[in-house]
Amino acid sequence: MLLLVWMCTLFGMMGVVGTEQEARAKPESGPSPVLTQESNCTQLTLKLEFSSKVVEHEYIVAFNGYFSTKARSLYISTALRNAGGGLEWHIVPRENPASDFPSDFELVHIRQASPSSLLTLEDHPYIKRVTPQRKVFRSLKYVPSSEVAAPCNNTETEKWQSWQSSRPFRRTSLSLGSGFWHATGRHSSRRLLRAIPRHVAQILQADVLWQMGHTGSGVKVAVFDTGLSEKHPHFKNVKERTNWTNEKTLDDGLGHGTFVAGVIASMRECQGFAPDAELHIFKVFTNNQVSYTSWFLDAFNYAILKKIDVLNLSIGGPDFMDHPFVDKVWELTANRVIMVSAIGNDGPLYGTLNNPADQMDVIGVGGIDFEDNIARFSSRGMTTWELPGGYGRVKPDIVTYGSGVRGSGMKEGCRSLSGTSVASPVVAGAVTLLASTVVNRQLVNPASMKQALIASARRLPGVNMFEQGHGKLDLIRAYQILNSYRPQASLSPSYIDLTECPYMWPYCSQPIYYGGMPTIVNVTILNGMGVTGRIVDKPIWQPYLPQNGDHIDVALSYSPVLWPWVGYLAVSISVAKKAASWEGIAQGHVMVTVASPAENDSEVDGELTSTVKLPIKVKIVPTPPRSKRVLWDQYHNLRYPPGYFPRDNLRMKNDPLDWNGDHIHTNFRDMYQHLRSMGYFVEVLGAPITCFDASQYGTLLMVDSEEEYFPEEITKLRRDIDNGLSLIIFSDWYNTSVMRRVKFYDENTRQWWMPDTGGANVPALNELISVWGMAFSDGLYEGDFTLADHDMYYASGCSIARFPEDGIVIAKNLKDQGLEVLQQETAVVEAVPILGLYQTPSDGGGRIALYGDSNCIDDSHRQKGAVSELLTECSLCTKQTKKKFVYLCFSDCFWLLDALLQYTSYSMTLPSLSHSHSRVAPPTGLEKPLPQRLEGNHLYRYSKVLEAHLGDPKPRPLPACPHLSWAKPQPLMKLHLVTYGSTRSCCQWIWTKWLCRM
Amino acid sequence: MMMMLRRLLRKRWVLGVVFGLSLIYFLTSTFKQEERTIKDRTLLEVRDSDHRIPWKVRFNLGNSSRQITQCRNSIQGKTLLTDELGYVCERNDLLVNGCCNVNAPSTRQYICKSCLANGCCSIYEYCVSCCLQPDKQPLLERFLNRAAEGFSNLFTAVEDHFELCLAKCRTSSQSVQHENTYRNPQAKYCYGESPPELLPI
Repeated sequence: MLLLVWMCTLFGMMGVVGTEQEARAKPESGPSPVLTQESNCTQLTLKLEFSSKVVEHEYIVAFNGYFSTKARSLYISTALRNAGGGLEWHIVPRENPASDFPSDFELVHIRQASPSSLLTLEDHPYIKRVTPQRKVFRSLKYVPSSEVAAPCNNTETEKWQSWQSSRPFRRTSLSLGSGFWHATGRHSSRRLLRAIPRHVAQILQADVLWQMGHTGSGVKVAVFDTGLSEKHPHFKNVKERTNWTNEKTLDDGLGHGTFVAGVIASMRECQGFAPDAELHIFKVFTNNQVSYTSWFLDAFNYAILKKIDVLNLSIGGPDFMDHPFVDKVWELTANRVIMVSAIGNDGPLYGTLNNPADQMDVIGVGGIDFEDNIARFSSRGMTTWELPGGYGRVKPDIVTYGSGVRGSGMKEGCRSLSGTSVASPVVAGAVTLLASTVVNRQLVNPASMKQALIASARRLPGVNMFEQGHGKLDLIRAYQILNSYRPQASLSPSYIDLTECPYMWPYCSQPIYYGGMPTIVNVTILNGMGVTGRIVDKPIWQPYLPQNGDHIDVALSYSPVLWPWVGYLAVSISVAKKAASWEGIAQGHVMVTVASPAENDSEVDGELTSTVKLPIKVKIVPTPPRSKRVLWDQYHNLRYPPGYFPRDNLRMKNDPLDWNGDHIHTNFRDMYQHLRSMGYFVEVLGAPITCFDASQYGTLLMVDSEEEYFPEEITKLRRDIDNGLSLIIFSDWYNTSVMRRVKFYDENTRQWWMPDTGGANVPALNELISVWGMAFSDGLYEGDFTLADHDMYYASGCSIARFPEDGIVIAKNLKDQGLEVLQQETAVVEAVPILGLYQTPSDGGGRIALYGDSNCIDDSHRQKGAVSELLTECSLCTKQTKKKFVYLCFSDCFWLLDALLQYTSYSMTLPSLSHSHSRVAPPTGLEKPLPQRLEGNHLYRYSKVLEAHLGDPKPRPLPACPHLSWAKPQPLMKLHLVTYGSTRSCCQWIWTKWLCRM
Repeated sequence: MMMMLRRLLRKRWVLGVVFGLSLIYFLTSTFKQEERTIKDRTLLEVRDSDHRIPWKVRFNLGNSSRQITQCRNSIQGKTLLTDELGYVCERNDLLVNGCCNVNAPSTRQYICKSCLANGCCSIYEYCVSCCLQPDKQPLLERFLNRAAEGFSNLFTAVEDHFELCLAKCRTSSQSVQHENTYRNPQAKYCYGESPPELLPI
């Protein structure tokens, strides 16, 4: 019942080659302009600098017209003959596709050219002028103008593709983007980097280890991909090729598997890391990019039997709830197979991590370019398994080159590809090479290898940990660490400094205060001592009294058993009551002791133990006023997996699932940043509405909620609003006919997928707001309009069906998208009520604002969706529609959110809204029945609120609110020198300390 | 010449033949493809005795009392391990040589705890231990003889009873429905011939 989307990433060489040629064909010269992107995307500034140098003896001879090669040569020789003998010259051949065509210039090499000979040249009737040849140097620099750096330079075509076996391959739509879309963007810098050698193994200094005699021999590395042809000239040690697909060939018909194998183990041309490693090729993808979980399960079992050491998976998908698959990956790790996997190509959007790379036991690899920028495509953001109650883990683990990397071509030769699919084998190759350097192979296991990689990684400046993990792979340092390794436990991240920006974003973006929801940091424990481990006694919280450590409370929860090799330690931090109006920095640390059964000890019952210190540093501010505090409802957001929750924008057909987590630190990141910049404090509610103190908050923000509501929640919210809490709802479409229409047959699970809600759960929302005489409709509208001088785009939203008569309602003319989806007809509906503002009548009562569409505050629709839409639409679109799409892709409506918050928090109404000519009388909604839930929907399967019941599903009993038990502090009096900080990670500190001891 | 061809093509019976041939080709290829898909999905159910896999498992007939100095074991367990003699023990009771400490109070040999009548167990280590019982050999041989090509990679590489049980008890393509859900999440490790019981989602 769950969809498994395998995305393998294969990268358009065509695109890359195309851009390179483009750059070559259009040499620009002149001053150095500073290109800045459109006004609402000023985060990235492109600095272009030129310098030039005269090339000796070479001259450009320009003609008056276009002449053939032969004619030009004739003219020049005639002209130079007049200049007198003894002049050594020749025409410099230009070999490019243009050389077959007439040209208006020629490049001439003249030895000892005197000014007179040049003048004689210019005397020729057809020669216009002679100028010295200049060599132009260009350098490109990206200057992020602020930390905010919301990646919104979307005009560029993504040069990679993803395959999803359940849907058609998107090669044609993605790789052939026209040059127009290449105009700006981070990747364009690659064009000018042709001079940089891209032999990734050499850049990472693998040759240092090669010279020491380490070449990967004796290490079994498995490549799970599209296969490899038998007699590929690049490989010398292919031990075995096996086929797990229904195709009758072991060969690679795509080039993806060959490339990946080449990066790991090619021995010539484009060299891989470990040419002597034992290669095991597992073909698990057909040449049509089809793959199934069951093929993987059988292939994985074989890999365990064959005692594979390192396994590369350049694949991934959003379904982390595919239990058979996830369990199997754990099983592999438990059998000492080091799993390396690509984090995904769904960036720059947050909340896009792919499974299995997002698992604690897997080394998840992100991509960077050769200038150490995080590659645009690299997936990022926290893991979303832990939502809504917890907080995500840091992923990817490390990053490495994944953009324009050279590797083996399908039959022979080399080619250049991009994607995290490429970055993953770079790490897998490095891991293979590293494993072969270790004398005592018993010490190499999935945890110790990961510890060595992350402890040695080099942190990239200006990039947060949810994009770069621990930083960029450093092979040589990893070698040093691994070869002096002693089994121990370590933490990822290794310290918690909530003041450190930007590395600790989003923690550093909002200080903590008394009364706020606890800040949770989800730390991963890596245990190199054994496949199982446990935490001895309890972790200890030790506040530093001289550093105000007693101003915070810490609660700790952790895995009861650390298996396989890993576990979590969730640290919840709150401000103590005595610091309610205090401002400052508080510090302390948590001590954790991990124990594992000793495997190689002579005594029975022996245990290895390791104690790790987790320093904590937080910034505390006095509790902000109620009006400044916004609470984001996470509890009522449902997503894929497990169920089919459709996108909120129906135009996004390529990616129909809502899978980014709908969290303020994933796909609502820009909105969060905006609210922070406006001075609001945003907290997340991961529990039912009954579980928060409404007197603390100005506004409850509910965006695009799919979940149902407990009756107790509905009652409590009514009471809260009577007592002054305000509510903003961004709803979305819910139309049962459209829901039936957007069902699809999933090839992977071989069944029909019917959505369980629309973009939002309108019937449930209507129950929540019915007491105020409000309701949303089941209409489905789309269109652009102007509201308060802002251009707006309404993408698959609903309308307001019912609103109290003393409220303010704004209506616009919109297209009936429901009609378009169902009958392919276009019709414009006049005066669709989309926005409503209402002051509840009770004394001191709160305000309510409703808006029918959430797309304009959701990053996933403003970036990637827009891009993919551009691509699908643009095969048949005019320049104008292209422009419109680009524009829409950028347009957010944070201004509207500001205006709504101004209204809910301070009761201030934007005059352009209240006195707008679009203001209409509130709809009574009596003419049409309100939307009903789709009959036979399976929401109860995924809901935390409903449970199956004879007849209709019924609400479950209200769960208890989460309760944190605060760790008993064991204060430390002495002053602690803080050795960690922005310049140096604690992990490095621990490692160096430990290395010194050796 | 061209005229002749054109005239020929205009004849109704020629068009009929062309159409008929295309139809036959279409039908056969569609049918073939369908057949192939069905075959792919039911790898284990293929009872084709011609396609016996060349398995080479050496069973040590009931020779569990043999003295060995080093044991292989099931490596992966969270708390339990099974050694190649069929003993299941706690990780803490594992000896340095990889064997279970047979004197530890919780160590058991050939234990089928958590296993159902259909040969599926809820705990992997017990599945392996149960599968190592000497009397399971005929069952395993029968399975090997009937295991179809889909599993030939795995089961031709297996060398002895212990490896066979380790491999057989793992979840595989036979353990899932709709690819991403277990047929029976409770009893998914099977040493027997049949896949886990299919439970509704």
